[in-house]
Amino acid sequence: MTLVSPGDAPVPVPPSVDGRRLGQAEQHDALAARNSRLIPGELLTIKIRRSEVPAGGDIYQEFQVPYQKWMRVLDALNWIAENAAADLAFRWFCGSKMCGTCAVRMNGREVLACWEAVEPSMVIEPLRNLPVIRDLVVDRTRYEDKVASLEPWIERHEPYAQFPEPLTHKQMKDASKALDCISCMCCYSACPVIGLGNLTDFAGPAPLVQLGQTALDPRNSPGKVRRSLELTGIFNCVSCYKCEEVCPASIPIVSRIIEPLKAKAAQLVPEMAKHSFALRDIVAGRGRVDPGELVLRVQGLRALGNLRRILRLFARGKINPMKTLLGTKTGAAEAAGRLLGNRVGKQ
Amino acid sequence: MQVITTDVAVIGGGAAGCYAALNLSKRGIKPLIICKGLVGKSGASLFAGNLVISGRALGNSEENARNTAEFLIKYHNQFLIDQNWAQRCGQWVEKVYYPELEEAGLYFRRNDAGEVVTSPGKIRSIAANVQGNSGVPFMDLRRKQVIKAGIARMEETLATSLLHNPDGSVGGVFCLNYITGEYTAVMARAVILATGYSDRLHTRSTGTREMSADGVALAWRAGATLLNMEMQWWHTNDMAHPPSWQRMQIYPNPMLGSQKSARMLNSAGEEFFNQQQDDPLAFGPYTVQLKALVKQVRAGKARYEGGYYAGFDNCDPAEVETYTTYGKTFRQLGLPFPAHMAETAVSSHYRQGGIDVDTTTMRSSVQGLYAAGGVGGHSNGLIGLATYDGKVVAEGVARDIATLKAVSLPQPQIEAECRRLDRLRSSSGDGPAPGRLKEDIRAVMWEKVGVEKNASDLRSALDDIARIRLDLLPGMKIRNTGKSVNYEWLDAIDVMNMIDVCELVIHSSLERKESRGPFIRQDFPLTDNDNWLAANVLKKSGNGLRFEQRPYDMPLFTPGFSRKDNLEVAW
Repeated sequence: MTLVSPGDAPVPVPPSVDGRRLGQAEQHDALAARNSRLIPGELLTIKIRRSEVPAGGDIYQEFQVPYQKWMRVLDALNWIAENAAADLAFRWFCGSKMCGTCAVRMNGREVLACWEAVEPSMVIEPLRNLPVIRDLVVDRTRYEDKVASLEPWIERHEPYAQFPEPLTHKQMKDASKALDCISCMCCYSACPVIGLGNLTDFAGPAPLVQLGQTALDPRNSPGKVRRSLELTGIFNCVSCYKCEEVCPASIPIVSRIIEPLKAKAAQLVPEMAKHSFALRDIVAGRGRVDPGELVLRVQGLRALGNLRRILRLFARGKINPMKTLLGTKTGAAEAAGRLLGNRVGKQ
Repeated sequence: MQVITTDVAVIGGGAAGCYAALNLSKRGIKPLIICKGLVGKSGASLFAGNLVISGRALGNSEENARNTAEFLIKYHNQFLIDQNWAQRCGQWVEKVYYPELEEAGLYFRRNDAGEVVTSPGKIRSIAANVQGNSGVPFMDLRRKQVIKAGIARMEETLATSLLHNPDGSVGGVFCLNYITGEYTAVMARAVILATGYSDRLHTRSTGTREMSADGVALAWRAGATLLNMEMQWWHTNDMAHPPSWQRMQIYPNPMLGSQKSARMLNSAGEEFFNQQQDDPLAFGPYTVQLKALVKQVRAGKARYEGGYYAGFDNCDPAEVETYTTYGKTFRQLGLPFPAHMAETAVSSHYRQGGIDVDTTTMRSSVQGLYAAGGVGGHSNGLIGLATYDGKVVAEGVARDIATLKAVSLPQPQIEAECRRLDRLRSSSGDGPAPGRLKEDIRAVMWEKVGVEKNASDLRSALDDIARIRLDLLPGMKIRNTGKSVNYEWLDAIDVMNMIDVCELVIHSSLERKESRGPFIRQDFPLTDNDNWLAANVLKKSGNGLRFEQRPYDMPLFTPGFSRKDNLEVAW
């Protein structure tokens, strides 16, 4: 029997971690492993990005905080507020990974302050992609409004019969993952497409997870799901997996939420998936991507309007009108057609 | 300052407050939710681990149904409960609550075959999505229902005082949005306090950061009667480290889909609690656990601050992690799971007592003021009970509203409150900071009003609290005088509420001269049903207070003994 050890003995680091969670790699990242070298009382160096710069000071204010057993980022912030900077603004409620209000960026990575172990040297910043109210407190309104506009609630296509209604976990597998969401905004901050601002109409990973809770629920009516999906700009997602990497609730955001939602959108709102369909058809038909055809198919003749861009693309060899028009196939066409289901058009 | 008029002000955005607001809104009565945190993301409801199956729902046998009632009355409330209310509540939970939640989309965890997964035992429970995390999707659903219904919310907004009509009735709320620093006077015909079960009055406490017994303090100042303020529940096995994890529990409840659950070891490595053996009926692991721990502490094999261990080393990891979140703590620390046991400590949890209400309407003793959910003193903590209160209070308010009157902008009250709050924000003494004072108060409560109490410690605690009030409070020094997102200002306001309520808790603890369930008096070790099978009612009189006893009607269950050593009583 082993009675505790935390902090007393280093815990072995597992040899391999799930590649998709490299950024977080929970076991490897855990406090006991990372901080076995820290002893209580030892000083941590913490730089916090403040919103008001003191006269002659730096926007990153530095603090020395004594390490405590199993210390979390939140414990360090609390120590600073109590002992060094009473005006440090940071939001938290539960301290146990349930309310999702304490997310910050620690050394360039989104973490829940209540959950993440301290590091000997830390830079703490507010989340990105949301306006900062003060210090580490961000304004969640943009996210809240987006979620509300998606109306992520169930509209039954059949009247509710009785408790318990027929439903299996298999049917709820993806929705159930989405239900682990604590809307902490880590993914929203990490998302590079959201980082583009108003260039796209992408709803962002967090609102999509919220939508996934009901849109991936078989009890919801397709009409309702369609109306919500229309507002998501979901095909702007570039599947970079940044959201998945930072999710403190370990939700497979891309693979189990966004991809299934994209599939639903392709089915319920095919015009949203125009680009994806065109790409698939081109690859299936030619065995390669033909950017010229892709642009023509997605934008139609509108594409010709921007002559300067066309010339630039041509000059750089990005498009080749001859190849596009002659419809040359590569040897991979047959295999691609087989893999992608050699069908042209929708579905 | 902003002025808002609404029909009903609901203070609190948890299970009771949201449900009350939804129900009122359906009746065409306009509610406004004032929430110190974020609706559905702060407060006690978020922590609901699972949902206890009531009555004959989900294939419960007659025996199961009876057990659940017995669990609630005996083990959860030690008979300090309105049994008639409990019966009405149980029927509603069985017939309305689950179907309504499911219809709205809440996912009660199924297996692949489509059966709702339950915990084994004589009392069964289910989970919303995952056991240990049920409160998250539950309250997220409520938040969305509130948004969908278009109910107005004032979030990160603290109710600092109630506004009164000349006849003393309550007709509004004064509040502070601590993000913007803006004051608002809310004029409402009725005010519902739904601020929850937990108070965070001890060094180690469960609950969310913003809690400071505000609901009880506001009610008391308005002249409302309270009861059983001494009845405090404890979590026996919360993480001992780090400080921010003091509410992270190693749940002792039966697990969904498994025949096993957590066990606890003392400092010598000897098992002293295993739910399957020590509480096979799963009637009341919390109380049973606490009593088991008291014996270990008395034997020198554990401390309330730590030095004992809990975990799942008797289980297979898959058994624990298929339906629960219980492995998350261990995994985040990098501890081999489930082989390692974690050091645990006690945290103060729910307060059983609170505001005295008429349980058929949730009226308090002050006209215009209602209380629903955990802040009420008529029962103890389950999310279904709090929700039921939300329904009852909405009905009660709907019945009364025609006779109730909102304040008409009471200038003197508002000016006085603005002055008080402004002054707090510029407290420039040479004494401790507000945050320090909160910790001092909690330390007094932890050391002298902790798990085991006695008259001399309690009196000494009263002296300490009086010293804080009279000597330290006037010299309080606030370092941050800004208006926006000033948590130190919030602390300064909280301190006052905490001091007032701590005194009430200590007086009530002195008054109850027996031990009962989690209320343990070293100087009165017996559970005394001859003299104390009664509510310990606390009334304001002049500037002081007085106690009355009020016996309970007991149509369903009775203790069946007169006096017995509390540690030998099963509940």
